[in-house]
Amino acid sequence: MSIRDRTAIVGVGTSRFVMKTPESPMRLATQAFKAALADAGLARDDIDGLAINIGWPLGVDYDRFAEVCGLKIRFADQSWTHGRFVGPALQHAAMAVASGLANVVACVCGVSFIQERGLLGGPGDFEGTREEGGTHEENPVYGLTAPAAGAALSAQRYFALYGATSEQLAAVPIAFRKHAMLNPQAIMRTPLTVEDHQNSRWVVEPLHLFDCCIVSDGASVVLVTSAERARDGKEPPVWIGGMQGMRAGRDEFLFAPPGLGIGAQRAFRYTPTEDELSVYRMAGVDQTDIDALYTYDAFSPLVWFVLERFGFCGLGEAAAWTQTGRIELGGALPMNTSGGLLSEAHVSGWNSIVEIVRQLRGACGERQVKDARVMQWATAWGDSTIFHR
Amino acid sequence: MTGEYRKPLPRVTSDNRPFWEATKRHELRLQRCGACGRFRYPPAPVCPDCLSEDAEWTPVSGRGTVTTFIVMHKVYFQSFAGDVPYNVVQVELEEGPRLTANLVDVPNEGMTVGMPVEVVFDDVTPEITLPRFRRTS
Repeated sequence: MSIRDRTAIVGVGTSRFVMKTPESPMRLATQAFKAALADAGLARDDIDGLAINIGWPLGVDYDRFAEVCGLKIRFADQSWTHGRFVGPALQHAAMAVASGLANVVACVCGVSFIQERGLLGGPGDFEGTREEGGTHEENPVYGLTAPAAGAALSAQRYFALYGATSEQLAAVPIAFRKHAMLNPQAIMRTPLTVEDHQNSRWVVEPLHLFDCCIVSDGASVVLVTSAERARDGKEPPVWIGGMQGMRAGRDEFLFAPPGLGIGAQRAFRYTPTEDELSVYRMAGVDQTDIDALYTYDAFSPLVWFVLERFGFCGLGEAAAWTQTGRIELGGALPMNTSGGLLSEAHVSGWNSIVEIVRQLRGACGERQVKDARVMQWATAWGDSTIFHR
Repeated sequence: MTGEYRKPLPRVTSDNRPFWEATKRHELRLQRCGACGRFRYPPAPVCPDCLSEDAEWTPVSGRGTVTTFIVMHKVYFQSFAGDVPYNVVQVELEEGPRLTANLVDVPNEGMTVGMPVEVVFDDVTPEITLPRFRRTS
């Protein structure tokens, strides 16, 4: 049986998002949790499931969170500490509810990237020393370290294959900065120009500073429950209409679409098939129904890759496709309308899930997508979830 | 400046030891499947095409082309502080697999995707020799 419309998001909450704070990730997470309960009109004792993707040492773990908040949890799920698992954690929450393992699952992300900067490259990045290469293609023996370097490998090859440029890439962070300027909770709210982008320092060439997301502290909580319970909620439910899981295999490199030819990936011209985009079939919609698209924009090239991977444009076309305001509010396909990881905050993508819920409730004020009905989360690594009101 | 090498060294494991033993002899060898004949890299206990455990560490040409490259500007390891901005490349060998390494003797602004290169060996410690690449003359 399909999971279509069997679960919904009924509450969201956030802490404040900041570049530096003395508050612990746990304190931020409890603030977001209480805000989400109030938003949903639920009591603490209604929560019997936890789904977490960013645990120690960057964020709060399921066991400590349950102890701290006095929860009685009968479904606990926690992934490897990586942002990529935001989509899968939400999917696990929905699957747990749909299969009766929990009534209400709280997806909790309380994270401090500021306090633990040393994990993201360099000698403190133990994961990057994995035998035969890190998960972002790290190879510290040759000085290849930090997630940004993996995204840069993909960007350089994409530039070479399709004639795309850094100036074109600037359209991505500029679009999301415009969105952040309409979002009081966003961290980066000053205007950004192509000149600013081009003049910003290289982090890993060909990626400039403004191609790399904010490193921040913050928390978001998303509450998932069954269709039956959702109908009685305080706010209108945001339905989980379809999903497809994260991909892995030789043709997959986290920061590239299939076929780009990074690391062990084969190099070939990739066109997604209908089977590879089963999320649309499950949700009963297609790309033309999507009122806004949200993605994990840790680095700006990932936005191009997701547009091609999910068939919004053809292979090699994303650079030109994003030049004319198409991904901005008012464009054909607004993306990351809160400002995303590039300009709102890095809450491991949960800030974008919260934004989807607020948009589908029509609660986004100046940055509201008019008549929003269907919105999609999709990542360069192939997972996706489609939401509707 | 002491002669001590302070940069990270590879983790030598039961799966990849023959690779590092070969580079120490200034040979580039990759696993070649004994069942289907395909080369593979990184090292692995089975062939990803046919799952055969039968493999031989076979000499390869050391010739290939640059498939992508980056220039590291930010210092993450203090041991690389004197090197920034330095390059890292991925090279597709004639035999198929890609290796990550550095390109020697090519200025950062002179690198291109598709540049033909060949392996060179750098004895960084008495135990470890790193393969790197130079532009094919």
